[in-house]
Order: sequence, then C-alpha cells, then structure tokens
Amino acid sequence: MNTPADIRGLSIRPAPRWKIFGQLALIAVGILLLATNIKLHWLTDFIIFFILVLSFDLLYGYMGHLSFGHMLYYGAGAYVTGLFLVNVGKNPIAALFAGLAVAAILSAVLGLIVMRTHGASFALINMAFNEIGFFIIRSPLAKFTRGDDGLSCSSAKLFGIIDLSDDVSAFLFVGVMLLLVFAFLQVLTTSPFGILVRSIKENEKRVAFFGYDTFRSKWIVFVVSSTLAALAGSIFTLVRGFLSPQVISPFGNVEVIFAVLIGGAGNLYGALIGGAIFMLIKNFLPVMIPELSKVVGVKLPQWEMWLGIILLIIVFAMRKGVVGVIRSQWHYRLRAARSAP
Amino acid sequence: MIQTIVYGFTIGAILYFFSVGLALTFGTMRIINFAHGMVYAVGVYLFIAFLKVFDDSFLLALAASVIAMLPVAYIIERFIIRRLYGEGLDYAIIATYGVLLIGTDAIKMLWGTTSQPVNDPVGISIEVAEFGLPVYRIAIFACAVVLFLALRVFFKRSIIGRIVVAALEDSDGVRCLGLDVNKYFSIIFVLGSALAVLGGILYAPISSAEPYMGFHILLLAFAVVIVGGMGNLNGTFVAALALGMVMAITGRFWSQAANAMVFVVMALVLIVRSRKLDTD
Repeated sequence: MNTPADIRGLSIRPAPRWKIFGQLALIAVGILLLATNIKLHWLTDFIIFFILVLSFDLLYGYMGHLSFGHMLYYGAGAYVTGLFLVNVGKNPIAALFAGLAVAAILSAVLGLIVMRTHGASFALINMAFNEIGFFIIRSPLAKFTRGDDGLSCSSAKLFGIIDLSDDVSAFLFVGVMLLLVFAFLQVLTTSPFGILVRSIKENEKRVAFFGYDTFRSKWIVFVVSSTLAALAGSIFTLVRGFLSPQVISPFGNVEVIFAVLIGGAGNLYGALIGGAIFMLIKNFLPVMIPELSKVVGVKLPQWEMWLGIILLIIVFAMRKGVVGVIRSQWHYRLRAARSAP
Repeated sequence: MIQTIVYGFTIGAILYFFSVGLALTFGTMRIINFAHGMVYAVGVYLFIAFLKVFDDSFLLALAASVIAMLPVAYIIERFIIRRLYGEGLDYAIIATYGVLLIGTDAIKMLWGTTSQPVNDPVGISIEVAEFGLPVYRIAIFACAVVLFLALRVFFKRSIIGRIVVAALEDSDGVRCLGLDVNKYFSIIFVLGSALAVLGGILYAPISSAEPYMGFHILLLAFAVVIVGGMGNLNGTFVAALALGMVMAITGRFWSQAANAMVFVVMALVLIVRSRKLDTD
C-alpha cells in the first residue's frame, strides 16, 4: 500500500467502458452547474479553452515537455478554418477538417525539428516558431487574414440544421466536442502507449534502453496534442465567426500553462478544473476588483497582480495543483479511516 | 544606411546589457528568469521618477535607480530563485513569471498605462557623410563595448569572476572546494539585474517607457541567449550585436518583420545546434 502517489495512476489495465461514461456524465453535470451561473456565451469560451488546456496537458502534464508555442497550432487551426470558410466553402465540417489537417501537417513537420530538443531549448524554439507564425498571420498574409483588423467568417448551418451562431446550439456543440476530446484523451492516456509516454516523462533514457523508439512516441504525442489544439481553434472560429491575430499571439501560451498548473499537471480533471479557475479569475476579477475597491476605499491592484501571487503560491505551496491537493487529502482520509478500528 | 548600422549597434548594445544577466542566471543556475524583465521595467520607471527629484540630472537619476533596484534584485534572488535552484525548469519559469506579472501590475497601478517619453540627454547630432547621427546612440554602443571589456577583465582577473566562471563549467566541483557557490550566484544575479536596469535606462530616451516593456525585450533576449550559447559571455556579446543588426536592417526594409526575423535566426541556430544542446 506504500506506492507513491505518482505511480498509483499507472495501471496497465485500461479503464472499463462504464467508468469513462460515468466520468463524462460527471463533467457534463459540472458544466451544466457552471451554466446555471454563467452566461452561455461566456461558458462557450470557457469550454473552448478547456479543450486547449486538455491538449496542452497531454504534451506538458503527461510527457513533461513545456512548450511556449502551443498557441501556434491553436491559431493555425482557427485561421485555416476561417480562411476556408471565406474562400472555399461554407460547410463547417469541411472547414473544421481543413483546419485540423493543416495543423497536423504543420506540427508533423515542425515536430521533427522541435522534438530533438529538450528543456529550455524546447520551450524557446516553440516560442520562436509561434512568433514567426504570429508575424506571418499579421503581415505577409494580411491580404487574406486582414491582419490586425480581424477576419469575419460566417459558416453555414451544421448538418443543415444547427445554427452555430445561436448561443444554445453553440454551447451544446462545444460541450459535445469537449466530452469527445476528454474521452479520447482518457483512453489514450490509460492505454499502453499512454503509459509509455508517462514513462518518458519520468526517465527517457531508461525507456529508450528498453528498446522503445522514444523519438517516435514523442513526435506522435506532439502531433496529437497540436492537432487537438487546432481543434479548439477551429471550433472557436466556427462558433464566433470572427478572428483576430490575438488567437495566435504567443502571450496566450502563458495562460494555458497556468491553467494546467493551477489544476495540477498530468491529470485530465486537473486541466478542466484549472481551466475553469483560470477563466473565472480572468473574467471576473477585472469586474470584481473595482467594486471591491469601492467597498474597501483603497485602489486595489488589477487581476494580473493577483494571478502573479497565485502563481507564487502554486510553486511554493501547492506543486500538484488543486486536484493534487484534493487527491492527497482524499487518500489520507481514506487511509486514516481504514487504519482506525 | 549608416544610420541603420548605427541603429543596429545601438539595439545590439541594449540587448547585450539586458542579456548578460539572463545568460549568467541560465548558465549558473539553469533557470529561465522572467523576473529580469520586471527589474528592467521597474528600474526605468524609477528612473523617470528620480529625474523629477534630481532636476533632470540624467546621471544622478541613473545612479539612484540602479542602486534602488539592487535590494529588489537581491530579494528576488534570495527568496525566489534560490529556493528553486536545482528544480525543474517549469516551476522556475512560472514563479519568475509571477514576479514579472506583479511588477507589471505595480507599474500600471503607480504610473498608469500610458507610455512615458524620456528626453535625449545629449541631444546633439554629428554629421557623417551628410547623415545626422545622434551622439547619444554612439555613446550607448561605446558603453556596451566598455562593459564587455570590463566584464572580460572581471571574469578573468577578479576572484569572484573566476569562481563564477568555474561554477559555470561545473558548479558541483566548485562546491567541493568548500566555496559557497550560492553567495557568488547572488552577487552575479544582482550584477546582472543592475546591468539590465542600466540598459533599460539607456534605451528609454530612444523608445519610451511602457508597462509591458519588460515582456518585449525578454523575448528578444531569449533569442540572444540561445544564439549566443547559454552561459557563454563572449557569445552573448556577438549574438546581441548580430541580432541587433538583423533587427535594424530588416526594419529598414520591412518594419513589421524586424522582430520576427530575430526568431527566424534563433530557430535556424537551434536547428543547427539542437544536438549539442541535448545536455540537460
């Protein structure tokens, strides 16, 4: 019973089917609970962000590769979908797949380069590519993307019936997408391949010593993670119908990294909870602080400072994130209850 | 064209001032220090505040703000960087980024979000082949060259410098000699921060002070540190000047591409050298 907490999740057996459906139901209930308090329009943004955070969690949380350039693929998916809608056709499904395909090819090519680096070089080379992508969207391609002015791109109805510009159907669409992505990642991370990926995080040399081609596995994870990020971007385009270079801005990376860490890296629920906490901080603190300042009578700092303080707390006191803390408390209580006569 | 070249050297000089500290922290402690941008930006804002106190005396205000930032740098090193020493890269990034956010927000709270211009302290231009060249920009470049030579002497001759150079190579080895490496890392960190403040102040009259200035130069400085080789001081100098020149020349023909070109160079260098960097 003394297995460390990190190993406990490394079960070889894939989770049973019913368990996955149970988890999906749990998430659906959680999101509906959020829906009672937050406007649907905002919640849709939240869920798109959740998908992005989940995709990043696969790369960083499960494989331990911190990238500063994940927004490149989010933005690529968003822009390719948008440009497809404007220039080729209005079919949302075709546009979505166009975005995914281009991002997959892009990440497959760049992955050959970036996956050869580690640590700081990996983080920074991704940032370099993201900066280049940001520039390409804003300047040389400005004729097509309309640069900083933004690109408006409406899509036809999904399957001819669902109008994605309507708040409720957009919410249902992104909600279903989130559940699909979560189920996919749940299956992937508990599969033998997922275990291999987590082993790479622990010690890549040993995994290679066992005879596994670690470069190939890392490359596959990079492509999958980037394509899922592109999926989030494409969905954003379909739902919002408007794009600005902000979607590919390298500054967005930090938000994703924080969301993963607040929740707890290497844990799908952590990604969801971290994403929710981050979005709540980002959306409600700027509204709440001026009101709070009026009550207190002192001008309080903006949300960025609070975020900075939260980050320091996470690093120095809560390494495993919110979910990690809850989990260890849970196991502690459970063990205490068992040992008590 | 001469103006462009001078501008390139000026930008390169500023990048050098800023990157020295970043390269040293990376080389000694293996930490990507985002807080460097915070020290830089807060230093410049303090400088603007001190200008009013000292009746627009550039040098007095410069000295005062550099000295004022020393304890701030020490606190960051002592209570944040040192506690993260030897830990994963990611936690250090996040903690120092938190510091950067706090600093940026403090600036916005105290001084507002509008950018603040600073006057050129020299204000004279010399005529070289019918082009007007501001003396100030040439002076910045001269300062960078002096700094480079001074640092070379410091790291070759002084005992602190030699210990740090040894620690860059093998910090465990230095520790085994019974030397308190952390103390020297502290000194180097504070020195690097002071240089960043100095660079920021020298750059302020050319650009202007704005709350997010730390973020922007950080990205460029990462490119400098990567291109120059992490922890390599001569490489940092050459890379800073080269990238400054890349920015100036690209900016002359295609102004939006200036920043992106730096990252193209950085990506190329990383691709070529990626196998050598596999050490950590």
